[in-house]
Amino acid sequence: MRKKRIDPLSQALAYIAICVISLPIFALVVKVPWSTFFFSLNSGDSLTAVKLSLWTSVLAALISLILGVPLAWWLVQSNPKVTRIFRPLVLAPIALPPTVAGLALLGLLSRRGVIGTYIYQQTGWQMPFTTAAVVFTGIFIGVPYVVLIAESTFAQLPDDIEDAALVDRASHSQLFRMIALPQARDGIATGSLLAWARILGEFGATMMFAGSMPGITQTWTVQIYQQLEVSPDSAYALSFLMVVIAMVIFVLIRKPLKNAIRR
Amino acid sequence: MRKISKAMRTRVACLAFFSLSSLVLTQSPVHGVQSKTVNVLAASSLQPSYSLLAKKFERANPGVKIKISFGSSAMLSSQIIAGAPFDIFVSADIASMAAARSEISRRSDYVANSVVLAVPLDSSITKVSDLNQNLEWIQCANTAPCGTAANRALASEGGLTRSPVSLEVSASSTLAKLISGAVDAAIVYETDVIANQSKIRSISFADARAASTQYQIGTSKVAMAKNKRWTNAFFLHLQSSEVKKILAKAGFKVNIVK
Repeated sequence: MRKKRIDPLSQALAYIAICVISLPIFALVVKVPWSTFFFSLNSGDSLTAVKLSLWTSVLAALISLILGVPLAWWLVQSNPKVTRIFRPLVLAPIALPPTVAGLALLGLLSRRGVIGTYIYQQTGWQMPFTTAAVVFTGIFIGVPYVVLIAESTFAQLPDDIEDAALVDRASHSQLFRMIALPQARDGIATGSLLAWARILGEFGATMMFAGSMPGITQTWTVQIYQQLEVSPDSAYALSFLMVVIAMVIFVLIRKPLKNAIRR
Repeated sequence: MRKISKAMRTRVACLAFFSLSSLVLTQSPVHGVQSKTVNVLAASSLQPSYSLLAKKFERANPGVKIKISFGSSAMLSSQIIAGAPFDIFVSADIASMAAARSEISRRSDYVANSVVLAVPLDSSITKVSDLNQNLEWIQCANTAPCGTAANRALASEGGLTRSPVSLEVSASSTLAKLISGAVDAAIVYETDVIANQSKIRSISFADARAASTQYQIGTSKVAMAKNKRWTNAFFLHLQSSEVKKILAKAGFKVNIVK
């Protein structure tokens, strides 16, 4: 094993960083009401909210994957001028405050929204306050994560492999499906899992755009927020499950993440 | 040897972090002793009136700063329990004040407010039972005072077969969605409707008692122990007939005895 070469200041700062990140999580674990853990989880509509969050976030992450990977490939293959215009646009939701994202979605799809008006006039239906709004919010914030990681992985694929494939008369579709996709699978998996985690944790945009109704739009995070006011024990139990999921995600992507960083 | 020193370094770094943070924590409450700043936590339904009268009070007493944080009473109450610094707390119901009672002194009834069914000015809805038609309406969740009052009022009304499309976390988010046109109707505070009467109108519930919620006011025990002059002055001002007249104009009921 290589001997570590790190100066004392960097090492001290690194330790402080570890404390800053791990202490709040440690505190959360301490505050969990272990003796009444399952009872706390069962309080109110908590389990309903957990179930809703799990299936909507998985669905939103899958759709983000299906839409995000081709978009990342398109960005890599496009003329740099086009990429320069579209990349910031596509990645913007990563940096947008959730309330702004929620407002943007309302502005587009509520029945007085830019497109929502027409949909409402034609069908009498509007997306806000439906489960579809929860999923759509997830896609809006999930696609950029998939694109961010997948694009960097695609961009690192050696040009000579692509050239060789084209010389061998591979079609563009074959190049994408049989060369690029398998080569970039680590990055795609990492991006999708990060997107899923981010979608699962979404709070502000969902609350603004989808509202909060048990079984329909009340997600795990909204439930944590509401339980904090009536039953803090339940809020801590629900939060602890989120920590477990976050840990599991990083164990799952440990290998692909390592590969993606090392490239 | 190297292993021990590594472990030591970890401990020193952690200790440094702890002692720094405890320093910051013990320092912060001290600032208030001679302070001319009054920190108020108030139910968001008071925002339009309180923002104005705080400015007026500051103008009348140069150098005094009134800082008001508005929010759902239940949320403010849990912040107080968690140790949020404050001098005066005004809640939109008795339960939120009671939850924070260990931190509160001089607690008393304040004003009252009612929830009403609010609809856009051009709406065809004229009575509460119209909610049974095919339309979308929202109310607060029962974690907020506006939600418990709405549930009481609806239960007393009876005959309602349809449910709201969303249970919002606060009175302000409920109002915002109604005003933005995302829903046909919402159960909000009467004072919210009066403050926005150019856009929405109200339909009262038959049972006024069920629809009403009693506000309470109190000061922080810590603030009183320090006998902060300006906390006391603003606390009395908020209960003066001058302020109550302003609140009555905004739609609050000022002389309700619980």
